[in-house]
Amino acid sequence: MPMHALKDALSFGDLPASERIGFAIFIAFCLVFPWISKGSFAQAVMIQFLIFCLYGLGWNLIGGYGGQVALGQAKNVGMSAYTVALFMVWWDVPFWFSTPIGVIIATVESFILGYFLLRLKGHYFAIATICVSLVWQQLFVNWDLIGGARGVELPLKETPNFVYMQFTSPIYYHYFAFVLVMGAILFMNWFRKSRLGYQLRAISANEEVAESLGINIHWVKVKAYCITGVFAGMGGAFYAVYYNYIDPFSVMHLELSIMIALMTMIGGAGSMWGPIIGAMILIPMDRYLGAWLGGSGIVGVDFMIYAFMVMVIAAYEPRGIWGIIEKARRRR
Amino acid sequence: MALLEVIGLTKKFVGVVANDRISFEIEKGEIVGLIGPNGAGKTTLFNCIVGYHKPDQGTVKFNGKPITGFKPFQTNRAGIGRTFQIMSISGSLSVSENVMVGSFCRVSDSRTARQEAAEILNLMELEQEAQARMNELPIAAQKRVGLAMALATKPKILMLDEVAAGLNPRETEEMVALLQKIHAAKDLTLFVTEHVMEVVMPISQRIIVLDGGQKIAEGKPRDIANDERVIRAYLGEKYVEGRKH
Ligand SMILES: Nc1ncnc2c1ncn2[C@@H]1O[C@H](COP(=O)(O)OP(=O)(O)O)[C@@H](O)[C@H]1O
Ligand SMILES: [Mg+2]
Repeated sequence: MPMHALKDALSFGDLPASERIGFAIFIAFCLVFPWISKGSFAQAVMIQFLIFCLYGLGWNLIGGYGGQVALGQAKNVGMSAYTVALFMVWWDVPFWFSTPIGVIIATVESFILGYFLLRLKGHYFAIATICVSLVWQQLFVNWDLIGGARGVELPLKETPNFVYMQFTSPIYYHYFAFVLVMGAILFMNWFRKSRLGYQLRAISANEEVAESLGINIHWVKVKAYCITGVFAGMGGAFYAVYYNYIDPFSVMHLELSIMIALMTMIGGAGSMWGPIIGAMILIPMDRYLGAWLGGSGIVGVDFMIYAFMVMVIAAYEPRGIWGIIEKARRRR
Repeated sequence: MALLEVIGLTKKFVGVVANDRISFEIEKGEIVGLIGPNGAGKTTLFNCIVGYHKPDQGTVKFNGKPITGFKPFQTNRAGIGRTFQIMSISGSLSVSENVMVGSFCRVSDSRTARQEAAEILNLMELEQEAQARMNELPIAAQKRVGLAMALATKPKILMLDEVAAGLNPRETEEMVALLQKIHAAKDLTLFVTEHVMEVVMPISQRIIVLDGGQKIAEGKPRDIANDERVIRAYLGEKYVEGRKH
């Protein structure tokens, strides 16, 4: 069984050649990027892109394959990021020890929340996750012990340090984020061929029918939601050591949750590459647009553009850009 | 011991008693038809047995064990498969993947599930449609896929709701032949509803008739066809009066 699982994760043989070539180009691009990119801004955008790939790949489980619009990824990102940051500030705990704890906290919260909220249907579930996110957000903004609205700064070590994941060059972060994303892709490659993957897709297609096929739909959704929490937790832990500074607005905010969901929907929810395509388009656009418009005082343009993209996609192809690609392919 | 026992089952909706103290038994290996005009309570009875509805009163036993109040996934795992009167499956799963989902009820390994799905698609004469999406198929094929999905969960009893609805006479005949084939091949018990009496008559060993939520008759197909209460339920008082003269 574990051998089969490993084989499923590593084998992309069932995908069309065009997808395998695209994936190879993606890997090659990520590998050489630090050596060909010029500015530090571009490198920062690239790392952002990789973090968002991780978030999106995780959200895609519950939101894409499972069809449950969860809008609370940010709180799991935040819980893990705060664990890593505060453990270091308070007790000087290295990244590699605090990260598992942060991920476990994010996962346990997902389990408890999912257990109760995933009994709700459709829009009610989405709204409930928003409400819970707002509560966590307020709590973190007002909780002085953990820095409140000021956030937390991670103390810097004198020399670059692997156990604390502190480096002077962004190259290390780039490759670490790349390894995380590759891990996530391999996991998703196993997942899409697994029992859990098929059951989740059956649930999103028709819950009544899924139940009649022996699927405990509540439990399958809870499992998927927990895995989404694991991905968010990994991303959060990385975020903390990469920026060395976190606050509730960057890692706990509802805006982040919405961004992750929108990005995945635009790229193609419920498909292997959708989240990556979404991040590839939205993250550079967001950062360059932000840098460009930042000084001019115009705010909200970015969200207007996303809203427009979502409207176009909802009207034309609900399965996002990947849906458009697949449609074109099936027609040929 | 009967495979399925329903004892005094009652289900009320606001303003209607959809199932009124219904009792019957089904033996292992039988093919039993459940007929009755539209609105008689056939689908409700199915839903009460498999757990989509909670009966207000009564007991359902499967293999001698009470399963009343079980959830649908639990009755399925216990060995009750069912198909739907109308089944709309959207989404990206292909026909063969949908059948795999059925297999995953009993197996966890995707290779085994894929192999089982292929065998069932072969039995159901659906090899041509294996890669299609559900919503691309005509009704007749969709019904066969629904049957294949339920079959993949390896049920002991298969309950089919409105087997022939939406099918033309030729397709209905093919469906009936297919049911006889899987009954023989899979050592199954079949419990089949249909509002058109003629469809289930030829294949059923026994018929249960519902009307207005009550069981009004039960017996051999030939006796049922001549039963006055059944004829009245289907054709109204006037026809019965006319036959007398
Ligand atoms: N979910 C429901 N809520 C309210 N009434 C229902 C529901 N399901 C069925 N009914 C009513 O119960 C009666 C039996 O319906 P049904 O079981 O669908 O009949 P059949 O399948 O024999 O055509 C009908 O009067 C129908 O309107
Ligand atoms: Mg019905």
